[in-house]
Amino acid sequence: MTSKTILIGSPNSGKSLLFNRLTGLNQKVANFPGITVNIKSGKSIVDPEQVLMDFPGVYSLHAISGEEKISVEAFYAGLKDPEVSSVVCVVDTTRLEKGLIFALQVLNACAEHNKPVVIAANMIDVLNNHGMTMDLEGLAAALKVPVVAISAKSGLGLGDLQALMASHRDSPSAYASALGSNDTAKGNIIASDDSIVHRQAQQLAASFGPKGDLLINSQTRLDQFFLHSWFGGISFILIMFLLFQSIFTWAAPIMDGVESILQFAANVVVPLLPAGAVSDFVSDALFGGIGAFLVFVPQIFILTLVVGMLEDSGYLARAAVICHKPLRIFGLTGKSFIPMLSSVACAIPGIYAARTVDSPRKRWLTYLAIPLMPCSARLPVYSLLIAAFIPATGVFGGLVGWQGFAMVSIYLFGILCGLLVTALVSRSSAVLQTDLPFVLEMPPYRLPSWKPLLRNAWDRSKHFVTKAGKVIFMVTVVIWVLGYFPNQGADLGESWLGYMGKVIEPAFAPFGLDWKYGVAILTSFLAREVFVGTLGTLFGIEGGEENMISLVEHIQNSGLPIGAGFALLVFFSIALQCVSTLAVLRRETGSWRLPTQLFVSYSIFAYSAAWLTFVIVQSIAG
Amino acid sequence: MTLWDLKQGTSATVESFCTALQSEYRTRLSELGFHPGEQIACVLSPSLGAPKLYRVNNTVYSLDDSVASLITVA
Repeated sequence: MTSKTILIGSPNSGKSLLFNRLTGLNQKVANFPGITVNIKSGKSIVDPEQVLMDFPGVYSLHAISGEEKISVEAFYAGLKDPEVSSVVCVVDTTRLEKGLIFALQVLNACAEHNKPVVIAANMIDVLNNHGMTMDLEGLAAALKVPVVAISAKSGLGLGDLQALMASHRDSPSAYASALGSNDTAKGNIIASDDSIVHRQAQQLAASFGPKGDLLINSQTRLDQFFLHSWFGGISFILIMFLLFQSIFTWAAPIMDGVESILQFAANVVVPLLPAGAVSDFVSDALFGGIGAFLVFVPQIFILTLVVGMLEDSGYLARAAVICHKPLRIFGLTGKSFIPMLSSVACAIPGIYAARTVDSPRKRWLTYLAIPLMPCSARLPVYSLLIAAFIPATGVFGGLVGWQGFAMVSIYLFGILCGLLVTALVSRSSAVLQTDLPFVLEMPPYRLPSWKPLLRNAWDRSKHFVTKAGKVIFMVTVVIWVLGYFPNQGADLGESWLGYMGKVIEPAFAPFGLDWKYGVAILTSFLAREVFVGTLGTLFGIEGGEENMISLVEHIQNSGLPIGAGFALLVFFSIALQCVSTLAVLRRETGSWRLPTQLFVSYSIFAYSAAWLTFVIVQSIAG
Repeated sequence: MTLWDLKQGTSATVESFCTALQSEYRTRLSELGFHPGEQIACVLSPSLGAPKLYRVNNTVYSLDDSVASLITVA
């Protein structure tokens, strides 16, 4: 008979690593609607009848954030589930007192529901390496529950733990009768009063825990370096530089590879289809539309991997400390840094990374900034417009080029817009949600575990394709149908999309754009980079992104005023033209409210700023 | 004196929490080890007002002034 075991523990207790060890990484992710809480579940590799449920790490069963409340409620719901045969509470033996406070809360809750508990005393290998020991039998006798020494990292003691879980499954009545015969687990040793729980944890740790100071001095020395006024700043810049290199340089060959595979597949598949609408649909909508989005998957994989590596090493917590004070000026927190940083590659992983911002209000403000970060999908648009309107000359003997300067400026403009929006909104909006103070645990520095990181990056990429891909597919079909009919793609200008472009032309006329640019902007609401492809098609050039130079010449020859070029740059740096961002925001927030608000407000903001830019630049240019 | 006033490399004992700190945060800070009677060491005080690093029970936490200045130490 299948039974479930709940794995619970504080953050950084090594719980997830234990879960991966016990399940061999065969996990699936279940999501609760509304708030981001993932409970992973997987079958034990030694006993397929045993399903392990990995609950999100929480510091306490007294939840203070909305996310914690959902986790704790899910834990209590799990205790009521008759299929749950046992609970494994993971405790970090190097920080025993803190772990025992939480373990006592868990024991109390489990005793109320007659669920057997096993304390997994993790990181016993660290104690061993320091020549330290702890009295496991004494602790087990005091708590009246089994305490198993394990190392999730090395696998030490996992056999004993699995044997205990199996025994709880096979003889569930043994624990209940034990509870009936003595009431120790039901409130004798385990008091529910917070101050008593704390005192008990302190006494237990003093009596049975390792004696001596375990915090490795190297952690303090590394902190003194990474948070030093000068070295800390320099190392921060260097690490960020490497991160950007990974996003833009290291991902490029893989992205090119994906593009080549898609092109090869298109060349094989399309000729096999009968000429006409079906062939055009597969070629334009499937390979053209969906393919453009799949090209970004390697970037998401690499970014997730590198950010995960930084997180696993313990550095990200330090980066959050460095950025906390500057970001607070703009209503954000140091924990907002990583989501915003990730968004420079792509807003999707940035939105996922915002899960680490535990304050709901700060997370909400982070969501406002994310779509304004200069994501990589804006790059082709910026490259095209800058090449068309900014001279390829420079100053200081060509050392500083105007085009490069323009690119840096437009990037900084986006970041500045994001920070200004959060600063304004944080000061003007009422504080309706509970805000959390900045208390961040500094995890020990350690070498990253590659296998779980690769798995996580793969899962994130797969999730991106399967979830956001559905929305992108639907919009692609709509755009393609509008652009293809009624003249079977013979003339885009005469298509329904073309008519719509002419209808919306007056809307873009105030900043000097004709219907072609209107259509390109319209299609770019699917994904920003579509703008370049659409313009290429409109100018009668196949594959606009591949023939950037000729497209640049076409734009220059089209008589577009310079003010319109600048207006387009400003428009694209603000407007939220990304269906996947909206879809993922909807998924993370549980409603369409925030995505709709952001889409409408950033469209108005983009339009107004573009118009203002056009007026100013045209007046200067005469 | 508040926890925020603690100089790098020095220790103090938590006396109480200011009433401005909500009770749920007091509970949480207690659970993390910042409870009256506990000794806290300031292990790092970065410049420019960045959050400081405090060590309690073999764990290091970073607290900014909005929290640390609401914990009275002696």
